[in-house]
Amino acid sequence: MLFSRRLMLGLAMAGAFAFPALAGEGPTEIDLFFPVPVDGKLARDMGTLIKEFNEGHPDIKATAVYTGSYDDTLIKTRASIKAGKPPAAVIMSANFLLDMQIENELTNLDSLIAADGSTKDQFLGQFFPALQGNAVINRSVYGVPFHNSTPLLYINADKAKEAGLDPNKPPQTWAELTDWAKKLTKREGDKVTQWGIAIPCAYDYCGWMMETLTMTNGGRYYNEEFGGEVYYDTPSMLGALTWWNDLVSKYKVHPPGATPGPAVSTSFISGNAAMMMLSTGSLTYVRENAKFNYKVAFIPRNVRNAVPIGGASLIIPAGVEADKQKAAWTLIKWMTSPEKSAWWSRATGYFAPNMAAYKTPDMVDFLNKNPDAKTAVEQLDVAKPWFATYKTVPVRKNLEDEVMLVLNGKKQPKEALVAAQKAAEETLKPYNAETSLKLP
Amino acid sequence: MTLIDKLYKDGPLATRNEITPKLGFLLTILLALAWLIPFLWMGVATLRPASDGINLMAELMPSLKPTLDNIRDAWEIGDFPRYFLNTTIICTGILLVQFVTITLAGFAFARLDFAGKTPIFYLFLMQLMLVPVLLIVPNLSLVVQLGLYDTLAGVMMPFFASAFGTFLMRQAFEAIPTELEDAALIDGASLIQRMRHIYVPLSLPSFSAFAIISVTSHWNDFLWPLMVINSPDKRPLTVGLSVFTKTAEGTQAWGTIAAGTLMVIAPLLITFLIFQKRFISSFVTSGIK
Repeated sequence: MLFSRRLMLGLAMAGAFAFPALAGEGPTEIDLFFPVPVDGKLARDMGTLIKEFNEGHPDIKATAVYTGSYDDTLIKTRASIKAGKPPAAVIMSANFLLDMQIENELTNLDSLIAADGSTKDQFLGQFFPALQGNAVINRSVYGVPFHNSTPLLYINADKAKEAGLDPNKPPQTWAELTDWAKKLTKREGDKVTQWGIAIPCAYDYCGWMMETLTMTNGGRYYNEEFGGEVYYDTPSMLGALTWWNDLVSKYKVHPPGATPGPAVSTSFISGNAAMMMLSTGSLTYVRENAKFNYKVAFIPRNVRNAVPIGGASLIIPAGVEADKQKAAWTLIKWMTSPEKSAWWSRATGYFAPNMAAYKTPDMVDFLNKNPDAKTAVEQLDVAKPWFATYKTVPVRKNLEDEVMLVLNGKKQPKEALVAAQKAAEETLKPYNAETSLKLP
Repeated sequence: MTLIDKLYKDGPLATRNEITPKLGFLLTILLALAWLIPFLWMGVATLRPASDGINLMAELMPSLKPTLDNIRDAWEIGDFPRYFLNTTIICTGILLVQFVTITLAGFAFARLDFAGKTPIFYLFLMQLMLVPVLLIVPNLSLVVQLGLYDTLAGVMMPFFASAFGTFLMRQAFEAIPTELEDAALIDGASLIQRMRHIYVPLSLPSFSAFAIISVTSHWNDFLWPLMVINSPDKRPLTVGLSVFTKTAEGTQAWGTIAAGTLMVIAPLLITFLIFQKRFISSFVTSGIK
């Protein structure tokens, strides 16, 4: 009796599992992994976006899966690929694509583009040219730009006027910026009550800001064509780090120590820092919270104007089944369409990678009301790809650890960069042994 | 009479006339204040209206017009009742299985004789030296193979056996005089009966000490649940909370974060305040300080 009841139960369960497989023709269920790069209310906006997609596409059921920071998202995506459960699509930090491609973790999107009757050039032609460096690897498309950023110089216009500076003529060179920062720093005895400028330095942000400063100092940061070389111990990098360190310890116009991004934006909003360098991704937050007039400007140069791209692209991991791949592709195209990327750009402050987004009526209207949103787009003319190598995160941390030591007053720039270069070469060794050092 | 003098007067007799305990009291009060400030700030920030602006955000002085808006926002962004439920299921589920496994394993290492007992025990302890991050991929592969991906059971599974718990129970059981067990043996008690009536009741302080450590660590665990769980309705508190605290390039809404954090830690904090005495005595008797 007991045996038969168990058997019945077993049969019933087997039936329950088999049923969906037999039924077959339900909507294709896909997961979209997404990090929250900005204020948490956007997690809710993401929910709204996916709901709208599902309503318009009855044959697909997408679920937005929140996956932590950019770095956490990479860990989760990699773990789920290795465990055989890759999500159909991921919003992935744009500079992780090369590393993932080297590890064979990405789906090449060329055939999906071709299946739409489009060419690679036509497809990529929708996006700002500066974004292609992080989306195309060896002439194949691996990512679709979704939300992107450049660093900006934010200026508290009221404080600038108070100090006798003209906020409509923002500093264009490092020398001018140093001068502004000195004039904007207020002291009571030895205590600083208002900092001239703040630049964030925390994991992820620190590397991006170092890249920014090195580029404006004329340098390159890594080999854009090949994932095995970084240029940490170079004159342009040394000049950049020395200048940053001078702002902290020589001129004392920049708060000492390594400050995370949110702390920088908070002190700018509170009037504790008169200028800051921060992502355009924070623009909406500044616009909504600043109780003073502010200006955004290009990042000042020492040698040339240049900024790295930031933000994220949509990818399809390797190992996704064909029907899910197709559904994911539909979702990706929908999310990067002019209307949707324009909507997301207005909500976040990131710029919309799709150029046609700026021609939509809502966006034209929005830019007329908020001209500050144009700066990042204008700066794109001088934008370069974002740091991407084999093992991007560890190689980035090799530098960040040393830069933090400098800003904390524990090391001199030169010795820090020598150490960073050495550590990075160690991290890159296996890839170089496999590629550049492998003799035919 | 100052607060210190008062505390000091209530202190144990033998220490009243020495200077060191006095300094000790002072240090304790300072440490307690340092510990309290973040909590105070969190409470103040939670109730601070957004109209105060970010300028006052870092202040410890509460706003004159407190508001519940932040709590409402945090409550709306995350499905907190469900997150609470999930975290509770995870923590109690892990703990219940752990109680069984650590009792049996602890007993085996303390009282049974078998070949290679010491090397096996050390091997077991080596687990404590592995960084959990290292095991993410192998653990996740196993969880997927067992069909437990995206389930709460998958979150719990890797923690069912605990090296630390086994170690703790082994120490506790070893401290129990064998004469007690011998007496039970004479009365004809079986192995299970001996454990049930002698070892477990006499080791209760160790059990509660372990329970506290286990629950707090799994209550706070972020990365592993993030790896296993996809469905929004299976998120535990930590993952739900990080939706509005993790940022890369952006900025943070401190009021909402404070409110969310308060909601997440409140149950643990309240439990601690209620059972404070018990917690401390269990740690003292189990030898952990």
